[in-house]
Amino acid sequence: MNHHNAVSLRERFLQWREASILVVALLLIVYFEWANGDFLLSSASLQNLTQYIAPAAIIACGEIMLMIMGEIDLSAGMVYAMAPFIMHFAAETGVPVPLAVVLGVLAAASVGLLNGLVTVTLRVPSFITTLGTLFLVNGFTLTISAGTPADVPGGTALAQVMGAWGYSEILWALAVVAMLHVILRHTRWGLHTTAAGANPTGAAEAGIAVHRLKIGNFVLTAALAGLTGILEAFRISSIDPQAGGNQIMFLAVAAGVIGGTSLAGGSGTIIGGLIGAGVLGVLSDGLTLIGVNAFTFNIILGLAILAAMIFNIHIVRLARGGGAE
Amino acid sequence: MAVPLRAEAIVKHFGAVTALNGVTVELRRGEILGILGDNGAGKSTLLKIFTGYQRATSGRLLIDGQETVLRSVDHARALGIECVYQDLALANSLSVYLNLFLNREIMWPGPLRLVNHGAMRHRARELLADIGVHIPSVDLPAERLSGGQRQAIAVARAVNSQARILLLDEPLAAMGAREAGLIIELIQRLKAKGDLSIAMIMHNYAQTLEIADRIVLMQRGRITYERETAATSVAELMEIVRREYRGQDTV
Amino acid sequence: MGHFDRRDMLRTAGLAGTLALLAGDAARAATEGAFPSHPKWRLVFVNHVTTNPFFVPTQNGIKDACDLLGCTYQWTGSANADVAEMVNAMNAAIAAKADAIAVPIVDPHAFNAPTAKALEAGVPVFSYNADAPPGSDNKRLAYIGQDLYQSGYRMGERIAATVDAGLVAIFIATPGQLNIQPRMDGATAAIKKSGKMIDVQSIASGPTVNEELSRIRSFYLGHQDLKGMYAVDAGSTQGVGEVMQQFNLPSKGVHAGGYDLLPKTLELIKAGFLDFTIDQQAYLQGFYTAIEMFTFLASGGLTGPADINTGLKFVTKDSVGPYLTSKTRYEGSSLQPQIVARSGPISG
Repeated sequence: MNHHNAVSLRERFLQWREASILVVALLLIVYFEWANGDFLLSSASLQNLTQYIAPAAIIACGEIMLMIMGEIDLSAGMVYAMAPFIMHFAAETGVPVPLAVVLGVLAAASVGLLNGLVTVTLRVPSFITTLGTLFLVNGFTLTISAGTPADVPGGTALAQVMGAWGYSEILWALAVVAMLHVILRHTRWGLHTTAAGANPTGAAEAGIAVHRLKIGNFVLTAALAGLTGILEAFRISSIDPQAGGNQIMFLAVAAGVIGGTSLAGGSGTIIGGLIGAGVLGVLSDGLTLIGVNAFTFNIILGLAILAAMIFNIHIVRLARGGGAE
Repeated sequence: MAVPLRAEAIVKHFGAVTALNGVTVELRRGEILGILGDNGAGKSTLLKIFTGYQRATSGRLLIDGQETVLRSVDHARALGIECVYQDLALANSLSVYLNLFLNREIMWPGPLRLVNHGAMRHRARELLADIGVHIPSVDLPAERLSGGQRQAIAVARAVNSQARILLLDEPLAAMGAREAGLIIELIQRLKAKGDLSIAMIMHNYAQTLEIADRIVLMQRGRITYERETAATSVAELMEIVRREYRGQDTV
Repeated sequence: MGHFDRRDMLRTAGLAGTLALLAGDAARAATEGAFPSHPKWRLVFVNHVTTNPFFVPTQNGIKDACDLLGCTYQWTGSANADVAEMVNAMNAAIAAKADAIAVPIVDPHAFNAPTAKALEAGVPVFSYNADAPPGSDNKRLAYIGQDLYQSGYRMGERIAATVDAGLVAIFIATPGQLNIQPRMDGATAAIKKSGKMIDVQSIASGPTVNEELSRIRSFYLGHQDLKGMYAVDAGSTQGVGEVMQQFNLPSKGVHAGGYDLLPKTLELIKAGFLDFTIDQQAYLQGFYTAIEMFTFLASGGLTGPADINTGLKFVTKDSVGPYLTSKTRYEGSSLQPQIVARSGPISG
């Protein structure tokens, strides 16, 4: 075991766990910039790229907190579709739009509360619980919307802030990422989440309220999913009952895992989730830009994700092997 | 002066199973008490009642002579009772200093309730130096430590919280001779610092007789034997245990 | 070391001769072509159900037009009608400096901003298969596709001519979606105009074929006195046909019909369980759109754009034969380039 006080810069970089996925992201950006010169260097394309990244990044923050505790929320994509409708109906009955937005997020949070209570007090595995709420919320959304798209409530100033202005969604995403990163690493909530994920019995023995923490993280994830749905609705000026669904949920979970959060629980990284969402966004945007057709799109996307993950894991192995005792 | 901890006629049922069948024992000031016994004898259950993790079905606990009902682990901790469980309650992915301060983090003042990493690191180094534990860096994740180092951290965490009564569940389990020796030295140093009364559940009779001042032997939910270690020996203890096996054979 | 014998010489001469001929042909073709050389324009087609077999003939049409005119195309969008994905694809196309964009406008608002952005950046935007509702702010240059309301109206007229009175159910996969709702609206209006005592019920059947079948079946079982079952989209039409077959409803005097040319639908027409289906000519929706894009680009925007109604054709038991027996790229059942022979009188 050899620990110098001045660890080499390279070693320090490799041990920073988000390093490997950041390398992957940078390589992809370089590739797409080379393949299609408009990838990054015009405002339109940069704005575009951020719109590919932001939604998954926000939801990933919540899913990461849950994955650290060994749980998952499969209903996030459906809550994403439901929240804007709640906002819409609230606004229709005359509630002022900002309050309607808050009500939409609260409605989403209540689904999270349901997820948390069923998982924790009834001891149903979260996979099953949230699978159930997935269908429940989807059916609820289809019912209240009669399957028909709806308008976003009026008021352009608020709409600009809540997603209509091209860069607003990525700013929201960065704010959420910053906040959750601080929570995870610098507050008792986050540290205890990690401890409870790494050693649930041990954490309970140390006096941590593991159940309360879990329920809180379910509420957080659902609220973030609802917020994302509302932001996207304002961005495209339409509330669509088919929106989101399982696609966005898988993207968020994938972003977290690609970024370095273990599916088995015990550790996680919010910054990694942002970078993971970045990788997925760069791939989707880049492949569309260079003209890949829809049929082959998913093949290439799937292969690219696999390649990114394999590269990521092997860099981690290299770092562990090289930098460990 | 009253003893720090005294249990009288403690009974604990888990449904149809009786784990403790009337245990009376006390922990005297400044002593190291060894609790011996086979698996299923009720040692861990007794410990969990002392720490407030479980409640006795009947019987009473006296802390410093005062009859007390321990409402929770936090309540027991507030009274100065700390425990180190077998699984050590360490979070593998968290660093040494974060584990040391788990659920007792040092905070920055102010409404944001942010934890003070710098202060915790500093205090962690001080604490480890104080009780003579050598860890290369307090930033190492707990999973990178050896078994003995992990045990030392868990004990250090308990000591950090101003414990007066320290309970250890199999502190030397799964440890090689050298590491066990280091932990034994640590426990002896802690005792020498004064005003700490230690009760340990142990399996290895030789090690127990080396550190403990007094031992009790538990068999099937009861204390069947109690002696100062100076007045007994490994051979005698083993004979008692053998008698129990033989007793079972003739049933 | 070569063995240069007569056979080799003949072979080489033959090869050289063929190449010369082809080159000559190609040269002749270039000078005979209508358009001078132009950049290989990139036509981006955004779609709401990129993997749906209905649009395979559309893609064939686009490809044929592009081959004819020396352009390339990209087929992109969302596989499951996710409007946000489609908007992203449009924005990506604008950023990638596509030469022209076509998109089915399946949402009343979401495509207005991207369309405006594209036009501002000098990229022409066309809608195909589904158009913005009347009075919409969308600034697309032209619509190529079926007149949806009109086709529904014609279907409604047919229904009123077949059914005298009673309950008629019309199934729609996803109400409100702009590529099918207008058909429902047209049909309902025509039936109402006929003045007959027909009770029209509009039922949502769901976006996937399996769901649609179950829902249609459940509806029938709950309303066994109905007089007609119709549908305004491909999946629901197939579902209606299958329910008609399962319970042998034509023998009970029930009538049915719908849209699009799913293979099962065509079989059920031939077997007499469906009265008709409406062909919206998916091939033309791709082909004509690409041609429009080309003429716009070639003429610097001076020519076109114009709305093109790709028509509605009623396919009945009498005319369904050729659809079933041939496998053509025009209907999407084959990808081979081909010219299909025709014979006999042309029925309307």
